[in-house]
Amino acid sequence: MTEAQVGVGRARQPKRVALAWRILTYEKGRSALAIAGVFMAILLIFVELGFFFAVPQGGMLLYDNMQFDLLVCSNQYEYQAQPGQFPRSQLDRVRTAPEVAQAAALYFGSAKWRSGEDGKWPDVFVIGFDLQPHLFEVDDINRQLGVLEQTDTVLVDTGTRPMFGPLTAGRVVKIGDRTVTIGGRYDLGTGFMGLGVILVSDRNFARLFPYRSLDQVNLGPIQLKAGVEPDRAAEELRKLVGPDTRIFTRSELEAHEAAYWTTRTSVGLIFGSGLIISFIVGIMVVYQTLATQVSRLLPQFATLKAMGYANRFLDGTVITMSLLIVIVAFVPATAAALGLYSVIRDETLLPVAMTASRLAAVFVVTLVMASISALLSLSSLRRADPADVF
Amino acid sequence: MPIAPSRLQRLWPPAGFVPLAWRNLTANKPRLLRSSGGIGFAVLLMLMQLGFERAFFNASLEIIQRLDGDIFLQNASKYRFATRDPFPGRELDAARSVSGVASAWPLYADWFDVFWKNPSDGKTFLVRVFAFDPDQPVLRLPELDGNLQELSELDTALVDRHARRFLGMNLSAAQSELNGVKVRVVGSFALGPDFESDGTVVIGDRTFAQLLRGPGGGPPGVEVGVIKLRTGSDPVAVQQAIRAALPPEIAVMTKAQLIELERKFQADVSSAGPIFAMGTVVGFVVGMLIAYQIIYTDLSEQLPQYATMKAIGYRTRYLVRVVLEQAAFSGLAGWIPAWLLSLLLYRVVGEVALLQMRMTWDLTLISLVLTLSMCLISAVLAVRRVIALDPAEVF
Repeated sequence: MTEAQVGVGRARQPKRVALAWRILTYEKGRSALAIAGVFMAILLIFVELGFFFAVPQGGMLLYDNMQFDLLVCSNQYEYQAQPGQFPRSQLDRVRTAPEVAQAAALYFGSAKWRSGEDGKWPDVFVIGFDLQPHLFEVDDINRQLGVLEQTDTVLVDTGTRPMFGPLTAGRVVKIGDRTVTIGGRYDLGTGFMGLGVILVSDRNFARLFPYRSLDQVNLGPIQLKAGVEPDRAAEELRKLVGPDTRIFTRSELEAHEAAYWTTRTSVGLIFGSGLIISFIVGIMVVYQTLATQVSRLLPQFATLKAMGYANRFLDGTVITMSLLIVIVAFVPATAAALGLYSVIRDETLLPVAMTASRLAAVFVVTLVMASISALLSLSSLRRADPADVF
Repeated sequence: MPIAPSRLQRLWPPAGFVPLAWRNLTANKPRLLRSSGGIGFAVLLMLMQLGFERAFFNASLEIIQRLDGDIFLQNASKYRFATRDPFPGRELDAARSVSGVASAWPLYADWFDVFWKNPSDGKTFLVRVFAFDPDQPVLRLPELDGNLQELSELDTALVDRHARRFLGMNLSAAQSELNGVKVRVVGSFALGPDFESDGTVVIGDRTFAQLLRGPGGGPPGVEVGVIKLRTGSDPVAVQQAIRAALPPEIAVMTKAQLIELERKFQADVSSAGPIFAMGTVVGFVVGMLIAYQIIYTDLSEQLPQYATMKAIGYRTRYLVRVVLEQAAFSGLAGWIPAWLLSLLLYRVVGEVALLQMRMTWDLTLISLVLTLSMCLISAVLAVRRVIALDPAEVF
């Protein structure tokens, strides 16, 4: 034992990696198979994780494309598509605050699009706003503000489903009881707002929904003056508007929406359970590979033992093998996940995207997976008894 | 599959092909455990994805299944069930006068305009509302606990005790509010949310008329007309006759057509189909890789044995069959525990997520077929080694 420690001690780390590497490259086909298995498991984790975050992200779509520091809304606010209403006078009050640069009024409504395919009347989500420039961070919208000023003219989101018929500019459609013209398109996405979304001026919104008063606003996105700290401004404005009106900072809003989608709907559970299962599947795949390798190489491991290598060295070799497999598999899995994400984006219109933090999280999860599998397969290694082999 | 009758088989009866594959499989118990674990989790993954997909589609179809009628009227422009698109109630009178029609009653519904107040915390939430004449209950409410007749009183409601918890409908409170109007809760039923609505309230037609006035303050429009036929009348002929008696803006549909419309809408538009299909495919591929790994390892370990059998005179076809059977057994060994575990998971996940996760015969069959095919495909890929095997090389 002491001999081994002397022998191995100095160059332990490189030697261990070298041995693990040689075992893995000895039978390339087998290792390729293992890597393919781990590749799929990692891909699966990416996909489930992608969905898990895409749903709240889909709920944030509108906010993510708007420029604001604070959001004024009713205290009945549930989530973006069910925001409640508050009096417009509150926005006027907010505008008087020294911190505030701009306060826009946003109106939401749902109407029948009476020009769908096959004579169907799908529901369209209508966003009305006071044409404040640069409220949206979408070039198509800012460029076409002039179009929105025209009476009974709407812009249609390109994500609107085919059942609404062609979305060509100039097409005349019936929405609710009004006949309107499609003035153009913009590329923002429908998220969970509905199957189709249109953008209109507040004036045209009032025409589409004659029973709605523009004095009742759904959301009030606020831009602060440069250099104003949003948290402090929010505190000040809360005093100004009273308890019936709520003010979110952007980070509070993000947390609120994410909590809504993951706890109030089945999303968290569905993709959360998928995530756990794919993690276990990953462990199974790596464990399967390692255990097979270990039992096949049992005589060799026993020989190493007989030569005086310590158990710790052998354990380290197996753990290194495990880590090598997953690290090698991680790279193509990431590439494949990027490809799959774009397919998912096209198929489901969900904003599934790769982020640095997700990449890091999956990598850590992958290493954990490898370690657990390695620990599980160490028991087979214990069976390596030099006396049995010779 | 006919077995080639050979002398050898008569000489060595226990070597009938099933026992050999079975023995190969059970020879190494830890390995069997490992392989069934690997395959099993892949199968479990597929079962969960398939279960979620079913739950999603069933949730949207369930309420249509519960409509108590033979033929249904709705606006031809209505593109899905969960959308408000009412038609005037007088059309039902026209339908009633068609011979063969026993009754025609209205279902009123709303998805977007009624807010329920959680009786415990006072917060209000959008709910789905169904309404009908309590003497003509056109909707079969599951596990009704209470008396439908009480709905004939104004401002009374039945609530869904399986609604999402934050609505507080499971608290058996005696009173709450709908759109700010006090209502007496006279009972409950067990329906559960779908992906559109968090909870359901059922009220009488009079309460509905007060809550949601029709255009110009008149009576509210009918969402679905529920028609029952006289016994012995020909449904197709009556459907034709009703269609002839009504304007073309009204669609006259059987329940199957109504369900098909909804299914088609969900399949076209919702993201659930592709999401869960993708999960299932990934589960299948992972399972295939695991199975291939198992079979490949097995084969390489037993290559001398197979070579021996070849040398003795067993035909390649027989050996291939052994490999395929062993693959099928491995699949079964993974599928059975996965299926059992999924029963448990369906129950737990269904309870927590309020989803109708149900193991059905066709789900059982689909998962079994997927499992066997993933194992057999892997076996076919791996078996080339046995086919190419030359006994002379092994010894």
